Amino acid sequence: MASHATSGAARERGEAGSAAAAVAAPILLLEGVAKSYRTGQVTVPALRGVSLDVGLGEFVALTGPSGSGKSTLLHICGLIDAPDAGRYELLGRDTGRLSPRELAVVRREKLGFIFQGFNLVPVLTALENVEVPLLLAGAPRAERAARARAAIEAVGLRGLERRRPDELSGGQRQRVAIARALVGQPKLVLADEPTANLDGATAAQVIDLMRELGRTRDVTFIVATHDGRMAAHCDRVVALKDGTLA
Amino acid sequence: MKWLWFAVKNVRRNRRRSATTVLIAVVGTASLLVGGGFVEYIYALLRRIAATDSGHVILAHRDHFAMAEDVPMQHGLDDAPSAKARLEADPRVSAALPRLQFSGLISNGDKSAVFIGTGIDAAGEFRVRGSFLWKVTAGSALAARLPEDDLPEIMLGNDLARQLRAAPGSTLTLLATTTEGNLNAQDVRVKGIYTVGVPDLDRRAVLVHIATAQKLLLTDRVSTISVYLRRIEDSDAMRAAMGGLFPGRALQTWRDQAFYYRAVRALYNRIFGLLGAIIVVLVLFAVSNTIGMAVVERTREIGTFRALGAFPAQIMRNFVMEGLVVGVSGAAIGTVAAGLISFALGRSGVMMPPPPGYSVGYPLLISRSLELYLGAALVIVGASALAAWAVSHRAAARPIVEALAHV
Repeated sequence: MASHATSGAARERGEAGSAAAAVAAPILLLEGVAKSYRTGQVTVPALRGVSLDVGLGEFVALTGPSGSGKSTLLHICGLIDAPDAGRYELLGRDTGRLSPRELAVVRREKLGFIFQGFNLVPVLTALENVEVPLLLAGAPRAERAARARAAIEAVGLRGLERRRPDELSGGQRQRVAIARALVGQPKLVLADEPTANLDGATAAQVIDLMRELGRTRDVTFIVATHDGRMAAHCDRVVALKDGTLA
Repeated sequence: MKWLWFAVKNVRRNRRRSATTVLIAVVGTASLLVGGGFVEYIYALLRRIAATDSGHVILAHRDHFAMAEDVPMQHGLDDAPSAKARLEADPRVSAALPRLQFSGLISNGDKSAVFIGTGIDAAGEFRVRGSFLWKVTAGSALAARLPEDDLPEIMLGNDLARQLRAAPGSTLTLLATTTEGNLNAQDVRVKGIYTVGVPDLDRRAVLVHIATAQKLLLTDRVSTISVYLRRIEDSDAMRAAMGGLFPGRALQTWRDQAFYYRAVRALYNRIFGLLGAIIVVLVLFAVSNTIGMAVVERTREIGTFRALGAFPAQIMRNFVMEGLVVGVSGAAIGTVAAGLISFALGRSGVMMPPPPGYSVGYPLLISRSLELYLGAALVIVGASALAAWAVSHRAAARPIVEALAHV
């Protein structure tokens, strides 16, 4: 059982404003990706031969009920999990041929992550949290500070750089997480339920912010979400059900 | 922000837990330093006793150390004055002292006892040994020269004097076998009574001028020449030099003769080595426990860092740095604490009980050497880093998805 979605198919369905998708170059290509998990003696299939391509600058929503495989697909796209079968090309490179170290370098240089629970380091300030990817990459101190400040400003948190996560609201924390995801100038940002822990107004602001940053920086976003408002703002919606594209 | 600052912040996340671990490292460091300092002091004291007792290098007849004599002084050294002069010409030498070992009976007229006598160069011996090894308990030490108008002087060990009911001024008679195998007797006057702190020796010990012993044994030989150096570290070099100077003679260093020192050192090395290992293991466990709990609590954070592109080695490095922060803090505070404890003990005047076989105790002092302090600090810091590495390396290699899903 295989399923396939392309940016072209999405446009035909008219699921979102597709101006960006219409000019998109492929950044990500999945072919027949399958993944299953073993729980005791039982093997549970999470993805069953999913094929998908996403263009540069697209803003894609992964939707589906719990257990549909959207988080698994997001993890595979983010190179933090590997498929059991199928092929995954990112920026033209077959990721199945990359060593763990090379995968880490690709994550560091090409990808950004936004988590549902923000996943900020509680002992670090907002600015320091944003600096983490640059620190991991070994960027010089001055460059780190400058880029982190610019990212903080870009998400509208100027003046709050020295605050720790527990001194920020939920929306502000997610903005810090967005800044952290974008500070390394990635090509692809993967967001897992980024608005799930936010109230409606804040969620709308965060969605707008992500869209704006994605557009201005030519960054591809893949967002796993239950949030209909979020999906409505995406160029394309990829729906999953029982591990296949719906 | 640097990784070290990040490590410091992480250590401060759970202050009470970190403080407890640092405290264990402090106690561990201080224990190693105070215990190690005490052992070093004991070793230094025993080295000094051994070297002061025997001399740093001992020159003797070729067969002196290995073979029994058929008659007294069969394996004695001829021409001692010449050898003494040649040795004292070396700038490393502070004194070359001839000694004559002999034994026999000592009598007060009513009662006799076996004695073990040493003929000495009184001026030189009391200069190098002073009151360090021979504590005069009654009368006074032998004069530098033999008295010309009185009987030869002797000093008696405490218990021997008690057996013979002798006191300074008493007249006694020494009986010994001469080099020709005959018995000879010499009347002597007690000049002083002394103790070496070892009851077995105090029951037999007699000191006389070397000329008195030579006259009693009818010889001009000596048993050995003990060479005292200005620096104990020159012992082996001096022995080598003396090998060239006195070919065909037997040479030993103080270490060869220091049976008690070697035995105590072997015993203490095991006892304190075991205690030190226990302390290090305790620190290892404490740091492992603290870092281990931090690893569990921060599993999701580890997953986040890995997702952001951290290598497992970077994750481990962060935890090792946290272990180092704990270890360095503990070692630094422990070092200061050990210094203060050592200083206080040194000022307190506390005396240790006499060791087995001795009748006098010794002051409780703690050595403070740079090597010991650096070594102990490095051991504690190293143990902390090792513990952190051991508990973090599995977490660092855990699948990222699993780590992110950790609750």
